[in-house]
Amino acid sequence: MARRGVSKQALEVRRARRMFGWAVALFAVMGAAILFLNGTIGTSPDAGTAPQAAAQTGLPTLSGRVVDEADLIDAATEQAIVDKLAAFEARSSDQVVVATIVSLGGEPLEDYANRLFRHWGLGQAGENNGVLLLVARDDRKVRIEVGYGLEGTLTDALAKLIIEETLVPAFRAGEFARGIAEGTDQIIAVLSGDTAELEARARRNATGGQSWPVIIFVALWFGIVFTGIAFAILAPIFGRKTGKGRYEWLGIEMTTTGSSSASSSSGGFSGGGGSSGGGGASGSW
Amino acid sequence: MDSVVTSVRQAHGRAGIGARLAAIAGICLMLAGCGINNIPTYEEQARAAWSQVLNQYQRRADLIPNLVETVEGFAAQEKDVLTSVVEARSRATATQLPADVLTNPDAFKAFQDNQAALSGALSRLLVVVERYPELKSSQNFLALQSQLEGTENRIAVARRDYIEAVRLYNTELRTIPGRWWRSLLYADTEPMQNFSVEAETIETPKVEFNRSGG
Repeated sequence: MARRGVSKQALEVRRARRMFGWAVALFAVMGAAILFLNGTIGTSPDAGTAPQAAAQTGLPTLSGRVVDEADLIDAATEQAIVDKLAAFEARSSDQVVVATIVSLGGEPLEDYANRLFRHWGLGQAGENNGVLLLVARDDRKVRIEVGYGLEGTLTDALAKLIIEETLVPAFRAGEFARGIAEGTDQIIAVLSGDTAELEARARRNATGGQSWPVIIFVALWFGIVFTGIAFAILAPIFGRKTGKGRYEWLGIEMTTTGSSSASSSSGGFSGGGGSSGGGGASGSW
Repeated sequence: MDSVVTSVRQAHGRAGIGARLAAIAGICLMLAGCGINNIPTYEEQARAAWSQVLNQYQRRADLIPNLVETVEGFAAQEKDVLTSVVEARSRATATQLPADVLTNPDAFKAFQDNQAALSGALSRLLVVVERYPELKSSQNFLALQSQLEGTENRIAVARRDYIEAVRLYNTELRTIPGRWWRSLLYADTEPMQNFSVEAETIETPKVEFNRSGG
């Protein structure tokens, strides 16, 4: 490798540079490994249960803020509800979603609602501020499932009150669209009740809650990409085949990380990754 | 000339140490990739899930004094049902949980039985309540009832989460990379106890309905 006539000093310099290249490469690998591990271990409980749950009985997909599988809501009312819920989320970051299904298929309403809530990940991730209004048409059952973060505002008793005073009477009269529209209005009213807390929540999720992880993620990712590129340039210069192999390995690592974290941001409306511990109330008509 | 050589040597030495440190760090991360941290990670997740179970049982226990008081106001003659609820509650809350409750089958079973007894007493109470229309329609009772229902549901969710977390943890202890790490580094870890099916069938209110009807 060392050409004849090159001074000892130049060789030393070359060796030093090679070592430095190795150090850079190792740091790049480390960075990729950290991202990779965060991607796998950090999300493993959710990643493990969510697809499993989806496979079990084929939960409906979260196509929008109103998922009207049982076809209980007319188009005009549905649009009105969607607009109201979107405006409310813009104001508070709370995600309220209405779902109607044809049948529970024998599963207890509470289990199904919790499974669906977690599958959709309603509410912002750190805040868990989601609410799911679930109507099972053929079972004649309705439930308001409340995320961890809103249990203190939309208490079980208040959820029960909304169900018994608004939803059940309307559903008994066969006026599903009206009942659901009024029910969501009341849920929004209850959630808006504590204005100070509502604004604080919106602020948290507008600045601190959401953008920081994104910024850190993007910065880290760019860091890795550029270290990788730098290494790709350095490797041929310092001429090590193992180095190149490593780079390729690094490349694989980066692609796996990229795909696993990209799945969380799809177009249109999607859950923020919140969870529910079974708060809320159920009723039947 | 001499000074150039020394500075190059120094640079070489620094890069060597840096590379060595980086290599050590890299090896640590590769070990992490092999699941060296999985056992403690899953253990903490299972413990957190267990805390949530305890938390929700505690929440139920906290609701009971209010509930008993409200029912007493309308149905004081149902003394034995009310007493059984109060007694079951004090049994469930008075028992000091041993530190090793999660890995000790007897302690875990005792905990589970106490909570199941309280569930049974509560559902009997709710059946009795059906005979008192004024009680059933009182605002206070309705609020308490919805809270109790919500709490029972939270208990169910917390238990389900705990069961899943323990399943992951126990599987990690028994399957191959985890098994090696356990014998190598985490010899003191034990598989955790899980809720058994029998206890859940005992808890189903249907059994209690039949008993109180007959």
